[in-house]
Amino acid sequence: MHLLPLLQSVSNWAPIVLVRDSKFGMPMVQSFHLLGLTMLLTTVVVLNLRLVGLGLRDYALSRLAQQLKPWTVGAIVVVMASGLLIFLATPGKYVDSHPFRLKMVLLCSALLFHFTVLRRFTSDHSVARSRLVKVMMACISLTLWFGVGWAGRAIAFIP
Amino acid sequence: MPLHEWCEWLQHTHFATMITESEWLFPLIEGSHILALPLSVGMIMIADLRLLGLGFCGEATWKFVPRFLRLSRIGFPVMFLTGGLLLITQAAKAYGNPFFRAKLIFLLLLGINAVVYQKLFFPKMAEWDSAGGAPAGAKFCAAFSLVIWIGVIVCGRTMAYQF
Repeated sequence: MHLLPLLQSVSNWAPIVLVRDSKFGMPMVQSFHLLGLTMLLTTVVVLNLRLVGLGLRDYALSRLAQQLKPWTVGAIVVVMASGLLIFLATPGKYVDSHPFRLKMVLLCSALLFHFTVLRRFTSDHSVARSRLVKVMMACISLTLWFGVGWAGRAIAFIP
Repeated sequence: MPLHEWCEWLQHTHFATMITESEWLFPLIEGSHILALPLSVGMIMIADLRLLGLGFCGEATWKFVPRFLRLSRIGFPVMFLTGGLLLITQAAKAYGNPFFRAKLIFLLLLGINAVVYQKLFFPKMAEWDSAGGAPAGAKFCAAFSLVIWIGVIVCGRTMAYQF
């Protein structure tokens, strides 16, 4: 594979070496990753709970979706930036990891689902749909996002 | 028995070694501890942001904030249960870890902060929105909660590097 040597030369780039080899570099980047994850999954959970009508019923769905969006997008930027840095610091840990590959597939699916299907269900112009369909949408969304988290955790335990 | 010896004993009990040596139990507990974050701390953070006037202004504070405090009750039992189990398996290592100690102090401060909020500000919340948002004291509690919870997460993640 030609990818690993290229990634390893990136991982020897001075700013990345600085983060990797300083005592608190990686813990700080990992902490940002975890804080971003917390905010991201929180906004996703809140949106899905409201979608299926569990709590926050007086809060208009489209308005809540609008107000959650900057926090979701901000959190995605934080997790992606910190995640990229973690990946580039030690690419050897990730390129051949099966859980990592699964995580990337789930991440792409979750992002796609969130900003296409779920967005349509939570926007102003959303057509009235049966509760069953909404529950199914929420289940798919939560499975995908929490799947990303579980696959991420599995990287440390499964090759 | 001094505390560190007790921690040593705890870590080597049959129950603790069973979790440590299990191929799937430890990852499952650790994963649950992390993924309960959005269902506990995350909900508190949303309530804090609302109290600080930094977002989610579509509903009166006295309605919005209690809803999220209630939602956090889903995650916190999972948090304390899994956290307790993780602690049992690593008690002796955690004992001397400065980040674990900081995390415990932070949690204690957050407990005090929550009681203060509950006693001083919670009963009067319904009066706020007519008077233009939360009073300074309540905002201070919210900012304190937000910052210290971030500290708990940072310490929790960093303590793993110090073992």
